[in-house]
Amino acid sequence: MEAPDEELMLAYGRGDAGAFETLYKRHRGGLYRFVLRAIKQRAVAEELFQEAWIRVIEARSRYAPQARFTTWLYTIAHNLLVDHWRRKGLTLVQLDEEELVAAPDNPARQAEAREALARLAQAIEALPAAQREAFLLHEEAGLTVAEIAKVTGSGEEAAKSRLRYAMAKLKAAVDDG
Amino acid sequence: MADDPKISQRYRELPREEPPRHVDQAILAAARRAAETRPAPLVVPSGRRRWYFPLAAAAVIVLAVAVTMHVERQQPDVEMAEAPVAAPPLAREEQAAPAQAPAAKRESFTPDPKPAPSQERAPAATTDSRELRAQRDNAPPVELQKAQPAPASPAPPPAAAPALPSRQDVVSGMRESERKEAAAKPQAGVGVAGAMRQRSAAAAADTFATASPEQWLQGIDDLKRQGRHDEAEKQLAEFRKRYPDYRIPEAITEKFEKR
Repeated sequence: MEAPDEELMLAYGRGDAGAFETLYKRHRGGLYRFVLRAIKQRAVAEELFQEAWIRVIEARSRYAPQARFTTWLYTIAHNLLVDHWRRKGLTLVQLDEEELVAAPDNPARQAEAREALARLAQAIEALPAAQREAFLLHEEAGLTVAEIAKVTGSGEEAAKSRLRYAMAKLKAAVDDG
Repeated sequence: MADDPKISQRYRELPREEPPRHVDQAILAAARRAAETRPAPLVVPSGRRRWYFPLAAAAVIVLAVAVTMHVERQQPDVEMAEAPVAAPPLAREEQAAPAQAPAAKRESFTPDPKPAPSQERAPAATTDSRELRAQRDNAPPVELQKAQPAPASPAPPPAAAPALPSRQDVVSGMRESERKEAAAKPQAGVGVAGAMRQRSAAAAADTFATASPEQWLQGIDDLKRQGRHDEAEKQLAEFRKRYPDYRIPEAITEKFEKR
């Protein structure tokens, strides 16, 4: 059975670098996509992603598992995103074209799949920032509504509402096809 | 509920971006480097080393007490700088007894061995001591006299006033720059006090970091309400760094978003 994240983080705090590598491999993809799809600029996303992990590293000795490691990790990332948005005056940059769609392997379904996924990607992009973040936290980090509320510093009702609105908009976009 | 398997499935079909290799390597290298630096030993040091921590703690405590006493000793000076504005009753008393004034003025050059506050509290003080106080309080510092050519109260005799050194200047130890600053403003006492208050507010903002998260947030909120947006922004950023998972009340975050 795999060791829980919290145990790995505590082990890393005791000097076990291997524990961190396991932890990193477990969460690197999800956290990266969360930041990338929220920030929409690859260079900035990489910088914030790296900064989030640096903060995890710096906190290794004082880490105390009061909540799930995932919640803590995405809270750090959320704070970084908020700081970034505030620095930019809350102007969200448009998604780069290269982020939208990569061609599926099957050429026969290529056009249809591309169209459907492009619709979904555009719908995600069109979501208000708070709804998009709630959706990404749900999909990439697997967080519950309560955990989303905790990460974003909002009430549970607000988080639930944001997620529900996001899902409804995305469903409408996918069903259009 | 907010879950929708169809949306989740479609979302999983989107390209699964991964962090670039150089970012992976940088993070893992930083993690390894950090792991190699050993944390502080949990075992209590033995021998001579076991005294290091208690000695350091004692030194910090002594330093803190000394700084606190120093700050407390300086604060009454600001109040004294405001005293000339708040001394009309004694000034009237002096006008009522002008005959005794010259002698009292001569006596005022000798430093008073007793602390002034205890005298001011005693209602049955001698006439001489009351006059002394009246002259002290009525006589502004030398720089203040230069900066205020038209005082609101009746002018003292021209021969006596310039020669009378203010006890504030002699005893209080008020800084030269502060006195100049006070002289440059129409309401000197208020100016100095305002500057001190501003300085203490800035120092308070710096000390938020050592307070509890709630106190720190309260301080940030206070800064925002005072219109000190930049300081509030800095403090909030610092707070987020210090407490990444602390839930900041929406009432505070909204103020920053609305700016």
